[in-house]
Amino acid sequence: MNNKLFILKQPAGKTVMGIKSVLSKIIAVACIFFLFTISACKEQEVVFENNDCKAQPPFIKSIGFNPGKSAFSTSEKKIKGLLLIQINANGDTSNGGRKTYQHPSWAMGGWLGPIQIDKAGNCFVAPVPVINLIDNPVAKQNIIYKVAAATGEMQKFAELPVTDSSINTNPFGIIGLAYLCETNTLYAASVQGSSRKEEKGFIYAIDAASGKIVDKVSGVDAFGMGISYSSGSRQLYFGSARSSDVFAITLSKEGKFSGKPIPAFSINNLGPRGDDKVRKIKFDKTGKLQAIAIEFNYNLTAPTEKQENIYTFMWNEQEKRWVLVE
Amino acid sequence: MKPKTNSNLLFLYTKMKQTFFLVIAVIITLAACKIKKENQSANSYGDDVLQSVIADADSLKTFAFVEAHVEEIKKTLQNALPVMLCGDTLNEQQKLAQTTALADTVFTANVKNKENNQPYRNEIFAVYPARESDLANVKGTASITNTYRVEMYNYPLNLTSIAIVNTVQQRVLAVYTQAQTQPDIPLYLKNIAIKIAIESPEVQVAYGIKPSEKEALMASTKTALNRTRCERSRHLCVAPTFVKDGKALWAVVDLTDYKLVGVRWTNVGTTGEVASPITERKLQDDKITACFCEKETVLDKQGWKMNYMLTSSDGLRIAQVSFNGKPVLQSAKLVDWHVSYSGTDGFGYSDAVGCPYFSQAAVIAFEPPKILSLKDDNNIETGFVLEQVFKSEQWPKPCNYNYRQRFEFYKDGRFRVAAASIGRGCGNDGTYRPVFRIAFAEEQNNFAEWNGNSWANWQNEKWQLQQATTAYTAQGYQYEFTNKNAEGYFMQPGNGNFNDGGRGDNAYVYVTKNKLVPDEGEADLVTIGPCCNTDYHQGPEKFIEPAPDDIQNTKLVLWYVAQLKNDDSKGREYCWAESVLQNGVYVTKPYPCFCGPMFIPIPGKK
Repeated sequence: MNNKLFILKQPAGKTVMGIKSVLSKIIAVACIFFLFTISACKEQEVVFENNDCKAQPPFIKSIGFNPGKSAFSTSEKKIKGLLLIQINANGDTSNGGRKTYQHPSWAMGGWLGPIQIDKAGNCFVAPVPVINLIDNPVAKQNIIYKVAAATGEMQKFAELPVTDSSINTNPFGIIGLAYLCETNTLYAASVQGSSRKEEKGFIYAIDAASGKIVDKVSGVDAFGMGISYSSGSRQLYFGSARSSDVFAITLSKEGKFSGKPIPAFSINNLGPRGDDKVRKIKFDKTGKLQAIAIEFNYNLTAPTEKQENIYTFMWNEQEKRWVLVE
Repeated sequence: MKPKTNSNLLFLYTKMKQTFFLVIAVIITLAACKIKKENQSANSYGDDVLQSVIADADSLKTFAFVEAHVEEIKKTLQNALPVMLCGDTLNEQQKLAQTTALADTVFTANVKNKENNQPYRNEIFAVYPARESDLANVKGTASITNTYRVEMYNYPLNLTSIAIVNTVQQRVLAVYTQAQTQPDIPLYLKNIAIKIAIESPEVQVAYGIKPSEKEALMASTKTALNRTRCERSRHLCVAPTFVKDGKALWAVVDLTDYKLVGVRWTNVGTTGEVASPITERKLQDDKITACFCEKETVLDKQGWKMNYMLTSSDGLRIAQVSFNGKPVLQSAKLVDWHVSYSGTDGFGYSDAVGCPYFSQAAVIAFEPPKILSLKDDNNIETGFVLEQVFKSEQWPKPCNYNYRQRFEFYKDGRFRVAAASIGRGCGNDGTYRPVFRIAFAEEQNNFAEWNGNSWANWQNEKWQLQQATTAYTAQGYQYEFTNKNAEGYFMQPGNGNFNDGGRGDNAYVYVTKNKLVPDEGEADLVTIGPCCNTDYHQGPEKFIEPAPDDIQNTKLVLWYVAQLKNDDSKGREYCWAESVLQNGVYVTKPYPCFCGPMFIPIPGKK
């Protein structure tokens, strides 16, 4: 359902990134100071501005895989856990045209869903049940696992608080992850403990180095998350797991939450079903926002046809709102 | 056993269906869920949901005024080009555009099944003067003058084909298709939709009176034909909406099958519109959740009394079951369906069945439970059936499932706990293993098996497999449950003996002590076992091993795991389903494999 394939990016040098970080801040301040429009401050100028700093995990090379052609996947139908896939030269991902690798530790979390890679190449994943809970007991749905960049070994990284263990109707825990490069913060959305009648989910801000929770937003069932730089500040956008609405909350320079989530836009009535939930949010270099949406009703149905639609929005500076473009 | 032919099986299934008449299903859906307002918590569903109605999916109700149209469809399907022409009045230019479009082989590429050349049901819905935006798909320069947009809808594929036609050149300038998309419907279909709505008893009951066609079409009644979706059936659906006392009654009408899907009231906002349309899925899921997942329903019929409700992952659960005032069952439910495929080692699924929202179910209920009359071969009513269907939305496509759970209650005190798979699954080498849990109410029970000569008592918790060498009494009984007065029930397993097409259960039977602490399955169980074990490790054994409890004079639980091999060979179909074209649209041909034991009262020593 919300399992995915995560393409790795060519690495950027640590020192260079540090310089870019400083530059990015200078450019951002300059833009605001001269009252440039947000669209004029194109994010592609600075790596941190488009929040894309994921690095190649060094272990990939050591096992004989080409990092530039490799991707992590949690969506293999018959393989539980995390899988590394190397596609062939012409991009063929079929079984015949690829090679795969699974470290013995990569199935420890059962079936997995969201993936995030930090600027050091560490990979964070969270469990999401498929069809049933045999490999994903509810008590273990709030654990984030980390694959160490150097060794490729998976270990438990952080165990988020259990909100309400008495709820046995909701089989899900963490269903969304996002990562902020500047502050090395991992954001985890958990709906554990939520029921049809009560929205008890959290978005946690976690120090990606220590695994310590540094901030949280409560009473929110968030699903897909994405981070953007707009209106002069970092915004964490998240789709609601309960409705077709997308919200945004401002992030402070420390990566903590500032203020309350505010409605950003909605995909209500769009697409073949009309009530999809946004499971993933991506920003491209032109500032467009892609909302990838699926059917989600807090159950374990698994449609054989992929029930997914992609909606592209663009920020309209004059109207101060996101406008659907395709 | 004598091999059965396909026609024999179909006959059996038809006969079986005939014996279970749909007597009070509509009444149940209308009346089953009345909750007083004062009992509602803040997040409870309101009256709009509680009083909504899901029309019976198996309803044979047809409307006389549709018959002529259906005949026209049948006639069209005989044509070389099976496309109904636009039913609305067209001028000469529009007619020419329509004819030109239909002469274009690209535009008509999808009017028949490409594999077997069988005709699909197609219809031209509209011919409009083209707009500037329509020319975007035209190669080269084109003038909008004398150019028309011809829209054709393919019902079974839920596909819209559009041709841009220049009538002066009598040439198709561009063709494109939109999958899973429906064009605006023509006026005559709007009128049919409204007529179906106002002629449907469910609408009349909800509205209070039968709205006349004239009233329905008058602007003053604010009748609107809203767009809606039938996400599950993928049929062409619209929603005639009737406004009354500041509220709008949505009647979702299926124009592929010409039937009502359901009705639901909504509050009319200040703009006269509601934020989200009432769709097939929303109507179904909200109603099922409000009325059957979040509350128990009391059933009192023919001496039988019980509560029933849908669970998160254990199917339909009946509880506190008594007959003529005497407790019979503490509860009974369907814990899991284990489905394994022999072609690939370890490949299969362990499916829980249950509620549509907030549940651990992989296959969900989106129709209400039904209560059907049970009749014998002489059409004499012998009891009733409580039945629940669980379906994957895309069934009967491959790797989608349909499970039917059934409790039969007889006037003479017999009862049966049954279920069926109706395929289709991921292959023709599948074995279905439903796991039933049946908890008896008797506090001082004993369990015995027929060993060919006498009843042999089971001292401790144990399991056993029904096989070719299993001994049965002359009546076909394999086990008995009895109390200290020798009252109780015989158990007759499925052996192809229940006149429902079942071919025998080959069942694992487990008997365990009914413990409250720790709970051994009385509360909702997570998936109890993996998909693909082929031996007795189906889950219940974990309540027996490693140290079986003594089960003398105690409260007992029977676990029953039937093993049903599917079959897709012609004439032998079993646990299977196929889509076939009928009148140009796909309908499903089901081949259920019913299983489950019957319990027959033992009068005792009195």
